Amino acid sequence: MDLNLLLGIGRFVLSTTLLLLLTVPTAFIVIQIELKVIAGMQLRYGPNRVGPWGVFQSTIHGFKVLAKEDAIPDQADRSTFTLAPWMVFMAAAMSMLVIPFAPGAVAADFNIGVVYFFAVLGLSVVGLLVAGWSSYNKYSLLGGLRSAAQMVSYEIPLTLSVVGVVLLTGSLNFSQIIAHQLAHGWNVWWQLLGFPVFFIASTAEINRTPFDLVEADSEIVAGPFTEYSGMRFGFFFFAEYVSLFIMSTIVVSLFFGGWLAPWPFPGQLAGFAGTIYGLFWFFLKTYFFVFLAVWMRTTLPRIRVDQLMGVAWKVLLPLALINLFITAIAVVAFNL
Amino acid sequence: MTATDRETRIPDPIDLDRAEEARLRTAAGLAAPIIAEGSEYAGFELVGVPDRPLQTEREREMYTLEEGEMLVNMGPQHPSTHGVLRLVIKIRGEVVTDLDPIFGYLHRGIEKLCENATYTTALTYVDPMDYLSSMHNEHAPAIAFEKLYGIRAPRRAEYIRALVVELNRVFSHGLMIGFLALDMGGITPILYAFINRDDVVELLASISGQRMLFNFFRVGGVNWDTNDEFLSRLGKWHTTVLKTVTDNERLITENEIFKGRTKGMGRLTADQAIAYGVTGPNLRASGVPFDVRKAHPYSIYNELEFDVITQSSGDVYARYLQRIAELKQSLHLIDQIMDKMPHGPVQAQVPGIIRPRPGRAYGAVESPRGLYSVYAISDGGPTPFRFRMRDPSFISLQVVPVLMPGHLIADTMAVMASFDPVMGGVDK
Amino acid sequence: MRLLTERFPDVAHDLWTDEDTVEIQVARDRIVEALRTLRDDPEFAFWMLADAAAVDYGIGEHFEVVYHLYSDRHPAWLRIRVRVERADPRTPSITGLWTGAMFHEREMYDMMGIVFEGNRDLRRIYMSPDYRSFPQRKDFLLPDDAADSSAAGVNPLERPETWDLTTFSRELTSSAATYPPLDTTRDAPPAAYPGAGESADKSRPA
Repeated sequence: MDLNLLLGIGRFVLSTTLLLLLTVPTAFIVIQIELKVIAGMQLRYGPNRVGPWGVFQSTIHGFKVLAKEDAIPDQADRSTFTLAPWMVFMAAAMSMLVIPFAPGAVAADFNIGVVYFFAVLGLSVVGLLVAGWSSYNKYSLLGGLRSAAQMVSYEIPLTLSVVGVVLLTGSLNFSQIIAHQLAHGWNVWWQLLGFPVFFIASTAEINRTPFDLVEADSEIVAGPFTEYSGMRFGFFFFAEYVSLFIMSTIVVSLFFGGWLAPWPFPGQLAGFAGTIYGLFWFFLKTYFFVFLAVWMRTTLPRIRVDQLMGVAWKVLLPLALINLFITAIAVVAFNL
Repeated sequence: MTATDRETRIPDPIDLDRAEEARLRTAAGLAAPIIAEGSEYAGFELVGVPDRPLQTEREREMYTLEEGEMLVNMGPQHPSTHGVLRLVIKIRGEVVTDLDPIFGYLHRGIEKLCENATYTTALTYVDPMDYLSSMHNEHAPAIAFEKLYGIRAPRRAEYIRALVVELNRVFSHGLMIGFLALDMGGITPILYAFINRDDVVELLASISGQRMLFNFFRVGGVNWDTNDEFLSRLGKWHTTVLKTVTDNERLITENEIFKGRTKGMGRLTADQAIAYGVTGPNLRASGVPFDVRKAHPYSIYNELEFDVITQSSGDVYARYLQRIAELKQSLHLIDQIMDKMPHGPVQAQVPGIIRPRPGRAYGAVESPRGLYSVYAISDGGPTPFRFRMRDPSFISLQVVPVLMPGHLIADTMAVMASFDPVMGGVDK
Repeated sequence: MRLLTERFPDVAHDLWTDEDTVEIQVARDRIVEALRTLRDDPEFAFWMLADAAAVDYGIGEHFEVVYHLYSDRHPAWLRIRVRVERADPRTPSITGLWTGAMFHEREMYDMMGIVFEGNRDLRRIYMSPDYRSFPQRKDFLLPDDAADSSAAGVNPLERPETWDLTTFSRELTSSAATYPPLDTTRDAPPAAYPGAGESADKSRPA
């Protein structure tokens, strides 16, 4: 056996294990942030009884979800009913493979990392559709269809706005995108139109307020998740918060320099200290965007479904195309 | 061996299986549910249509499904509603074509209950009707009973009444802002509105002893005079209320998402509003300048200076702006009341159980939801012979089925919230 | 204001006025045109229907439907009382004049049993649709006499035959309520009581 192959396999197994282990605590942390930040903005204490300053609240939420009864509707299709939460969660977990956490700490540094990421993220749409359909509940079905329509419509401006970054960098590899940002400055300054489009589209893609009509307000209760309880619902719930985290990481990687430090600090260091340094800045920026998403949730009301579709097709898509056009011209004209 | 395996599941007595249900239905003489001719629902079981013969013309119109229509039940238990209200909505895709509000879940028989209660006790029964504006609920019967008994409350009592009534209006309108935003998904304004409400409610607790169902009015006056704690709380509250309300309002009023969802929505013309009997801020937001305080002044409102505010468009946004404007006007009124309050007794000398002469009396007040009136008939005995309350939320609900067709389901909650119904008042 | 109501010499009688209310009585069959004149005539201009209430004057006595109207031109409320007989509790509906009277009339039907002819939607509004008596009437049975009410025996706990827990019978534990009621004699009080055989609730036919 080739030692490199063994080391490669070992490294892959280790990194995927770490990633999977990372998802649930990340979800817990993001939920805790949400609870406390929303409470602070609403001038009240958040949870403050479970653990010091209530830090174990979301962990207990996780255990509560495990302890609930697992009820399946009588006439629901059992196999697809069970499959749907796995699909959504796996889409989120698989997309974490390509996230550039630190120099050298990317689980799988594909040369088509960007394409892989958005392709896998689209699998969650299938999961939602399957969830809505298999519940044998016409309101769930309609909710699932509506959310699928929303996510599919917003994927187009999402991916188009990334193409601008790809054109600037000339590569689909996340590490190279970050290396390009190290040399030329963060992409947000180069993509002043692309970044807002991406940010809005990503908020809609992960069903966060103001685009969260999937999980609240839908006909009756919870749209496609109405019939789910216990750990199945837990999967959906965690998948949503993990995708919030993942989207924030992608925003940071594509536009804000990934693991690079901002201007007064040295961009990246070498060796093991460099990894720690990169991790620190990466998580700092990511959690800033998580905070931003939570802030938007606290402040903004929800958009209605027809206005939502209108925004996707009539506003974001043309803006993304214009951005693409301008970027392409600039790249060719100035030989960037 | 789980609870869901068919073989081992213990039969639930509430589940009737199909044969037994069919047997009971034929025994009761029930027909099959009505399906419109030639529609695509033939052969499907029909959910939502009531399984009894439809009694009225309107019911037949409502529960007959055309091509592509579906009945959705926004049931009495609701994540975001104003009490227990059941809305049966007929939708075609996403668009509402008809709506039928069904209530009565909170009906407590207050009118009948008050026929066996003395006049003073009846004043305590009316509080939980429209529980967000309890003082108004008590004011109208107090006026009616005083007319029956033939007395007037002393001037200081009238001023205190007007003061607490305007305080009640302030927090009720503040809450409506919160509820409107909450029904649209904004989770923060409701909590800011509750900050204001908490202050006012502590204020009213220091004068009446209760935070919510105040039981403050008596026939002939009010129960307690103002005390030091009340005045100091009032002063402190007065310095902060405008800022709290403006903060809350700024979060919503210029918000594009909010405006996009409320402008042009649920437009109520002035003629429609008059025909449907809508009163209060809802009517004034459609342009009709009718305010009971000016039209038929009661208490000391003819001594206070204020304007009747109206908005020109009758949509949800206009009703929202109307309430904010009225809230600020109430603050102005509170200023004037505090300036002009005379000294004197706060309760006329009235026996515990009053026995007015036989007669009829009608008292109307302007509650935050509209015209709230009481028609009381006395037969000379210790209890009212007939005690009828006309609640404004009850009447406003009639307009919702007229405004909703053509809008989307998500707008149902917005339009309902803009009328600010309180189901305690609707159901009595 | 009193002078103006002299316009209705034939239908209105019994004028009465208080410090702020003018009251007239109108006969039942002329009520719609009287209200229409009051609403449309520019001298009256009672554009707002403030309240529509029903009063029961006692067991064996008549009902009254009372309307309160408001006009900008007159400082007083106008109260119109329409006498409705108990034996024939029907009266014309005014939903043609004010559509907002619909819920008022539904409530009056539900609580008093007064039928409004011409109302498109006369169904019960507070009580459940299969309720059989009229709560606001003076001869309505109060809940203390639950055994005589139309809802007695619906709950399995009120029927002793369901108390034997050793046998499980689906028929006995399911609800006995059906619409229309299968057995109209089950509400009769047990024959052991004095006065048995006549229901105490006089608000509906035996």
